[in-house]
Amino acid sequence: MLPEAALVIGALFVLTVDLAFGRRRTLERRLYLSVVTGTAAVVAAMYGAFTIGLAHSVFGGALILDELTMATRLGVLVLAWITLTLAGSTARLRHPAEFVAIVLFATAGFTLMAAAQQLLVAFVALELASLSLYILAGFDKSKPESAEAALKYFLFGGMSAAFLLFGFSLIYGLTGSIELHEISAHLARHPPTPLLAVALVMVLVAFGFKAAAAPFHLWAPDVYEGAPVSSAALIASASKLAGFTLFVRLLWPGFGPAAGNVSTATGAPGWLPIVACLSAASLLLGNCAALAQSNLRRLLAYSAIAHAGVMLLGVIAAGDAGHGPLFYYVFTYGIATVGAFGVIGVIERTAPCQRITDLAGLYRRSPLLTGCLAVYILSLAGIPPLAGFFGKFTVFAAALNLGGMAGPAGWLAILAIFLSAVALYYYLVILKQALVVAPASGTSTDAATNRIPVPADAAIVLVFAALILVLLGLFPSLVLRIF
Amino acid sequence: MSLSAQYLWLIPSLPLLAAAISSLLPRRARRLSSALAIGALALSFFISCAALSTALANPAAHLTHNFTWFELGNDPVRLGWLLDPLTAFMCTMVTFVGTLIFIFSLGYMHADENFKQFFCFLSLFAAAMLGLLVANSLLLLFICWELVGLASYLLIGFWFYKPSAAAAAKKAFITTRIGDLGFLLGLLWLYDSAGSLLLYDNGHGVLEATALGALGSAATVGGLTVASAIGLLLFCGAVGKSGQFPLHVWLPDAMEGPTPVSALIHAATMVAAGVFLMARVYPLLTPDTLQVVALIGAITALLGAVIAVAQYDLKRILAFSTVSQLGYMMLAIGVGAPGAAMFHLLTHAFFKALLFLGAGSVIHAAHHEQDIRQLGGLSVKMKLTFATFAIGTMALVGVPLFFSGFWSKEAILHAAHATSGSHFPFYAALIGVVLTAFYNTRLISEVFFGHGRSRSANHAHENSAVMTTPLVILACFAIVLGFLGTPAYPWLQARLNGETAVHGHSLFEGVGLMVLSIVLVAIGIGAGWMLYGRKLRLNATSPDPLATVAPRVHAFLGARLKFDELYAATFGLLSSFLATAADWFDRYVWGGIVHFLALLGEFSGTVNREADEQGLNAGFDATSEKLRGTGQAYSRAQTGDAHGYLRFLAIGFVALALVAIFGGVA
Repeated sequence: MLPEAALVIGALFVLTVDLAFGRRRTLERRLYLSVVTGTAAVVAAMYGAFTIGLAHSVFGGALILDELTMATRLGVLVLAWITLTLAGSTARLRHPAEFVAIVLFATAGFTLMAAAQQLLVAFVALELASLSLYILAGFDKSKPESAEAALKYFLFGGMSAAFLLFGFSLIYGLTGSIELHEISAHLARHPPTPLLAVALVMVLVAFGFKAAAAPFHLWAPDVYEGAPVSSAALIASASKLAGFTLFVRLLWPGFGPAAGNVSTATGAPGWLPIVACLSAASLLLGNCAALAQSNLRRLLAYSAIAHAGVMLLGVIAAGDAGHGPLFYYVFTYGIATVGAFGVIGVIERTAPCQRITDLAGLYRRSPLLTGCLAVYILSLAGIPPLAGFFGKFTVFAAALNLGGMAGPAGWLAILAIFLSAVALYYYLVILKQALVVAPASGTSTDAATNRIPVPADAAIVLVFAALILVLLGLFPSLVLRIF
Repeated sequence: MSLSAQYLWLIPSLPLLAAAISSLLPRRARRLSSALAIGALALSFFISCAALSTALANPAAHLTHNFTWFELGNDPVRLGWLLDPLTAFMCTMVTFVGTLIFIFSLGYMHADENFKQFFCFLSLFAAAMLGLLVANSLLLLFICWELVGLASYLLIGFWFYKPSAAAAAKKAFITTRIGDLGFLLGLLWLYDSAGSLLLYDNGHGVLEATALGALGSAATVGGLTVASAIGLLLFCGAVGKSGQFPLHVWLPDAMEGPTPVSALIHAATMVAAGVFLMARVYPLLTPDTLQVVALIGAITALLGAVIAVAQYDLKRILAFSTVSQLGYMMLAIGVGAPGAAMFHLLTHAFFKALLFLGAGSVIHAAHHEQDIRQLGGLSVKMKLTFATFAIGTMALVGVPLFFSGFWSKEAILHAAHATSGSHFPFYAALIGVVLTAFYNTRLISEVFFGHGRSRSANHAHENSAVMTTPLVILACFAIVLGFLGTPAYPWLQARLNGETAVHGHSLFEGVGLMVLSIVLVAIGIGAGWMLYGRKLRLNATSPDPLATVAPRVHAFLGARLKFDELYAATFGLLSSFLATAADWFDRYVWGGIVHFLALLGEFSGTVNREADEQGLNAGFDATSEKLRGTGQAYSRAQTGDAHGYLRFLAIGFVALALVAIFGGVA
């Protein structure tokens, strides 16, 4: 619990410091102070996650500390650190300390999600994270879109939380336990019933919501568009990483015996076919809808839905191939997405950045941002040697390893590979605007043509994120050998 | 001084660092980027010297440092550095000659506006070349090999606004790539049969006894043993890179690049990489392969010398002489004397760099006039250049006793004579000796004697010290270096063969052969003097004496035996036919499919968006749009379209539950 403790104490400390010293300062100074304190808390939590080491079940089996926990915790903390630093230079908020504190609370929720091994702990951790994210989505009170985003996110999230809790209670009723290994043992002894199927679907609805998988994706475009940049970045990256870790743990070690089979519709009932449906729907809908977007953030949202499809494929493969490919994919996706949102945030300080065409001529306005954006977008598109390529590669390879083309996930992998080609198109549309198209001609004083100032701290984290993508792309074993 | 193999990577990485830094510098940073390039290479030179002294202390050892690059499945892909006399001699030569040529470039390129870029490319080249030399893995060697090709492409096309330079760069790149394809195939085959690409690896490398034994016992393929086939494929790479027949066509065209580039890359170092590769994998080569190598080398040696006789462009003559000399080196390897080949490679690097820099000095002084018919009389105006150029020429021709080329060529002739195989290479080499002496006498007479035959030649004057100093240093080495490998004390060959003791013969052993070659050189010089030196050319348009004797032959030689035309009419035509066919197929067949799919994708994307935005979002967006000013979005949002969202969630749940229940139970 060391990282969680560090984060919670850090959050309270941020608030105290702000109350004690911040009242008379300007907003910028307060934000800066809060971000520095918050970063210190995140670093302390990282140190905690490192030193705590690997121990299996702790707290009477409520938490588990294995390689996946450790990797996810560190990954989430890195993403939270990037988000915080970007918030420091991009956000214009009325309550900076509260913002930082809530980011830290959400992060505490994520790290707890990474370790949960019991239905109740899982639910509490999930809610801690989700409630913080609802607030973060609506934090920019000056913008109606932000409020709209928060409300939609909250309604959707609340509904899916209800489904999740209902599903959990059904499972508890069916198996008589909230411990994952006991549930697993029970499921292995008893044949599946229709009620179990309903319970599994209920859990998967919540999963679909968390992962922004179709058809539970409807909140994503609105939230990505309306929420403050750093909130959207956190929702898109760290939240996904923690969510996937939590659910892959629930599904394979927990409900593994009820997995069923995806290769035939007439196989044993189980959750695998449902995940496969979600994956296929997300891949198709995300990629196709992204083609028609003209708003940059909505495009990122639909691309997130498409990526969720691939991640679900990774979940299907995780039973056999372990957590390595899935974690690698989600983590590198998170880094690239945070980076892309960071670029948007930095641009938005001085110029509009809503539509894709607002990026026109970015290479003249800020070569640094253009370079970083190119790395992120190409990584999202899966161009070697960036990490995105290797992530796709390992996930597809793991899926095809289940039995080749005729294997249970073969058709899904082929679909995903095919749609990756489609995805390249809309990613290149972004890069075309940034790299090829000349700046919008018009009045020379226009904000859309001037140079974009990049704050030093934002520049450092953006370059850092780009470097991670290159490094992990070149040496994927740095991450993969953990598992 | 000694250097562990572990730190060998420093040698290539210093120039690489210089290239990386100077690629980031702005264009105006001329002094900084040139200082970086020269400094880095000079530092590499000192490290190479340390490496050389380490290697010479124990010439039989192959000091290696191997490490795992990455793992592919269960197979680790390993790279490594290798330190032995071969590597050390080459590194020292490349860094030393390179440094001098870099310094010369300061003067030669000072008026060029892309000065900074030039030094960046030069450093990149030096890094790749040195990486190739220290590689202990054929994979790493191949990577650097390709990088060298890239740097060569960039430098040949450095004056890319000249269409001829752009075309020459393309030609060089594509022609060498043809050879590289063979190299790559050989590499893969070798990996398949030996299971490793490390050269030396404590007994597990491909050049060590275990692997060689396994290769030797492998099955035959179409009359060739696997080892021979692999050796021939590797030789393909060397043929491309070293300008051997039939892929020699790119090298003369490469002279479109700036002259320092010609000196460094297309005379002293890169083109020697093919010879180096053959010397490196020499243990792998079977007698069959060696026979082919010797044959190709002999043909190239003869061909280059014959064509050089009828060229008018100063740099092209030198280029064909390079082709011819590289042929000699290959020939030496083919007849089983890699030591003699490397000896000739080292001496050739110095005197040919000297000749090219001398040519550069002439060209620079004569306002970029390269036609020997337009030059003349420069011996008076450019005394220092003339003296050094003459030393270089005499080394190339093999004027006896005091010039390095004489000793290294003797070593090759001896080896060719002593071989148990066919004696065709030996006779070809002898004819080559006569021709070399002949065309070089012609070159000297036309360029330096008589009187100037154009305005630019008349206005020429000696260049600054930054250009002449490298000439003087190289000239000294063109003389001294020969004494490293005289038959009386063949120190260099012994070290390259891994021996510490030097077994000298009497200076006069095989003296008959030596006398023969001296006589042949004398014949060549005499004939050249008769035709060109005695009656000097009067003006630029008067015909060549050879052309009056045999006009057709001369024209045919002048057109370089029509190799370019032959290739254009065969391979060129075939590939443009294939390209047209592929273009048609791509445009109409694949293009049609792709267009159709794109339309389909666009259609479904639109449908999706419409469904999403119009069906579900429209109400909410319209509502919030209206209420944006009133600030009452909160109160009304609940009645907005969020219901629709949640309804969708419920529908999704029910649908999935039905799938789960009925799909499974049925």
